[in-house]
Amino acid sequence: MAQQLANGVFAGSIYTLFAIGFTLVFGILRHLNLAHPAIFTAGAFVGIEVATRTEIPVWILFPVIAAFGALAGVLVERIAFRPLRGRDDEHFAGLISSVALGGVVIALLQARYGTEPQSFPQEYFPNQLFEFAGIRVTLTQLVTLGLALVLMLGLAWLVSATPLGRAMRAVAENPTAATVVGVNVGRVTAGTYALSSGLGAIAGALLALNLGQAGRELGASIELIGFAVIILGGLGSLWGAMAAGVILGLAEALTIHLFDSTWKSLVAFALLFAVLVLRPRGLFGHVKVREV
Amino acid sequence: MFAGYETLITTIALGAILAYSFHVVLMAGQLSLGQAGFASLAAYVATLVVPTEPLFGSLSPVIVGLPVGAAVGAAAAFLVGMPVLRLRGVFLAIGTIAFGEMVRVFMNNAEWTNGALGMRVEKWVTFDFAWIVVAVLAYLFWRLGPSRTGRAFAAVREDELAASSMGVNVVRTRMLSFTASGAIAGVYGVMFAYFYGRITPATFDFGLTVDGLITAVLGGYLVFFGPILGSGFLTAVPEIQDAVGLEAGWIHPLVTGLLLLAVILFLPGGLSTIFNRLRRVPAAPDPGRTPPDGLDPLPDRGTEIARLRGLGKAYGAVQAVRDIDLEIRSGEVLGVIGPNGAGKTTLVNMISGLEAPTSGEGEVLGVRLAATGGAHRFAQAGVSRTFQHSKLFDRLTVLDNVLVGTHAVSKSTYLRRLLWLPSARRDERRALALAWAQLERVGLADRANLRPGALSYGDQRRLEIARALAAHPTLLILDEPAAGMNHVEAAELSGLIRGLAEDGVTVLFIEHNVKMVLDTCTRLVVLNFGEVIAEGDPSEVAADPAVVEAYLGTEDIEDGEVEHV
Repeated sequence: MAQQLANGVFAGSIYTLFAIGFTLVFGILRHLNLAHPAIFTAGAFVGIEVATRTEIPVWILFPVIAAFGALAGVLVERIAFRPLRGRDDEHFAGLISSVALGGVVIALLQARYGTEPQSFPQEYFPNQLFEFAGIRVTLTQLVTLGLALVLMLGLAWLVSATPLGRAMRAVAENPTAATVVGVNVGRVTAGTYALSSGLGAIAGALLALNLGQAGRELGASIELIGFAVIILGGLGSLWGAMAAGVILGLAEALTIHLFDSTWKSLVAFALLFAVLVLRPRGLFGHVKVREV
Repeated sequence: MFAGYETLITTIALGAILAYSFHVVLMAGQLSLGQAGFASLAAYVATLVVPTEPLFGSLSPVIVGLPVGAAVGAAAAFLVGMPVLRLRGVFLAIGTIAFGEMVRVFMNNAEWTNGALGMRVEKWVTFDFAWIVVAVLAYLFWRLGPSRTGRAFAAVREDELAASSMGVNVVRTRMLSFTASGAIAGVYGVMFAYFYGRITPATFDFGLTVDGLITAVLGGYLVFFGPILGSGFLTAVPEIQDAVGLEAGWIHPLVTGLLLLAVILFLPGGLSTIFNRLRRVPAAPDPGRTPPDGLDPLPDRGTEIARLRGLGKAYGAVQAVRDIDLEIRSGEVLGVIGPNGAGKTTLVNMISGLEAPTSGEGEVLGVRLAATGGAHRFAQAGVSRTFQHSKLFDRLTVLDNVLVGTHAVSKSTYLRRLLWLPSARRDERRALALAWAQLERVGLADRANLRPGALSYGDQRRLEIARALAAHPTLLILDEPAAGMNHVEAAELSGLIRGLAEDGVTVLFIEHNVKMVLDTCTRLVVLNFGEVIAEGDPSEVAADPAVVEAYLGTEDIEDGEVEHV
């Protein structure tokens, strides 16, 4: 039981890192970026390739993956969202253009890596096992949790205490007013995508590290969980997403423990459905007053 | 004729059916993504009822499955819609995705569905059968477009508040599109099962939803055959790649992705944009024709049409409007003035049913001001309005905007249009004549086929008035109609309003241009801090010291004090 719950927390920390990318972009720019799962997958593949070729240590590998993700995120915004700005069908079109771009990214991954799943090199990461109070934990899991915590706290600090964070909050509140007071909305948009995709790419590599390998469907497998996390946490709420990621991880772990792993995702979506119907702003979201 | 291509052509048909289930919700602006779940439920239920032998020797047994599938899909959509349709945009999308996933996991674990292994059935769907189904759907949507129901869908998509103020029952319209989507998705599920001969829970996954959405958006919802265009495009692209010798593998998805991206980025409105430009423009009726008949006469001059008693509205601790007693009598032009934040817009929002009062009571044209029911009931009773910030339907033409206005005074034509009944054509012509008459009344007849965005600001305000007039209102409410107009335009507007009053329309209007109000209205009400501070003959009220004080402040200011009432 305790073991299951611990596993739930580890899984939840990856869900959160992934979902924060969705929630950051939606909260600030009102875009639902469906290319995010593809960037997540690309992060895993690029991480594996860099690790295999250079054998650089993990603590250098992750900044490299983050930089790759950030660059990819900026490109996603340039290609799939910026040309649509101001169009009447901006929202629907953005969904489709980002799905299409995500498909292109996955096709490029297939071109480079083929259809077989890729694995981190043997012995790249020590497969050490710890035991606390009867709970077995791998070093990978500990690093995952630690890295996720550091990144989330760093993001929270960035959003609440730096000039870029302040500009991001201003754009989220009202882009026009932000422009008027001198915020460079273009730069904030690029920065938001860079952060979101950087975190997403790291999350992809972490999941691959935990699973030992990565296939092209890595992102698709976690996409719907990401939706569940951002709704449960309240769209645009960072702390909400963090809490919701862990809650979902725990709920899944409990379901596996009590029923069967085939029912796992039913709980996540039943929870999501119930929250949407009973409390649409999410467990931790703020009330938005409707404009008349 | 299609030897060797039957499978391909049937695939296009199936893709189009799936896309129609998205088309119908996109028309009404609802991002609903639960179709995979509806299709799954319908397909599995159909396997229980479809006979295993051809009917009467030769008839395809799927004919039994289609109505069952449609009914299951529609019923499921209705039940899911009741809680879920309170959501909008991304929330609705994710809520409906959650439903689809719940169905998938359930089917995976249920015993009668044979779990993840799925079920096998006979392959009874042939390509001609599939295309007959597509043709029926295309016909249904062809007749829907220019009908009253089709316009209601478009109005809800463009602006729900404006739609409900024009008498469109927004809740019902959204539910209608959602249920229709469920029915079509159900038909798709059954067709899929009996074409491929096998279904598994994984058939109806999130990927299917994304495919359907892409096909529908790619084809575009502006023309009735958009889903067929989208499906044809997406099915043909891999085939063409094969034909020109591109090898399969990663090149296929790459090219498909790039083409999709190009269409979305460069053809707003999808492939149908190309065809939409060819659309026939309805011609203006002959000049000098008498205005359409069959409209209810307006009440006799002087009849009481609205009565408010102690009406108040609080937003939390803020009392926006308090204790208002007011009667409105037929034929008068009632001006409402007051400083910013005096509660003018809140007052008209309550009178037009957009907001419910928190205290007091009132009745407008027999409709009680209350929390339930929605603004469309007020519109149907004869209240029509414009908004402080224009709420026009941006993607409809000027004429179509005004046609939506006729909603409250016309009858549903869709079912009769399906049967080509002459009465439907008569009703549509009548609505068109009514709309043209309003465009001529405000002087916009020569711009009928433009989009509202192409009009000047003053013309947009006039268009909103024309749309409101198309409802043949007893009470017309104008919220700052002259805002942003120059004095020449404002004078014209004043003339128009007085002309309406001569025709028997009662006008209630809010305006900051005091000179225009004094020139136009027959009675003036002044609000300040949510209360009526003066009421009566315009020139007398304008001279009232309390009114002057509200507008210009008190003389106490020189003592360094600002007096708050």
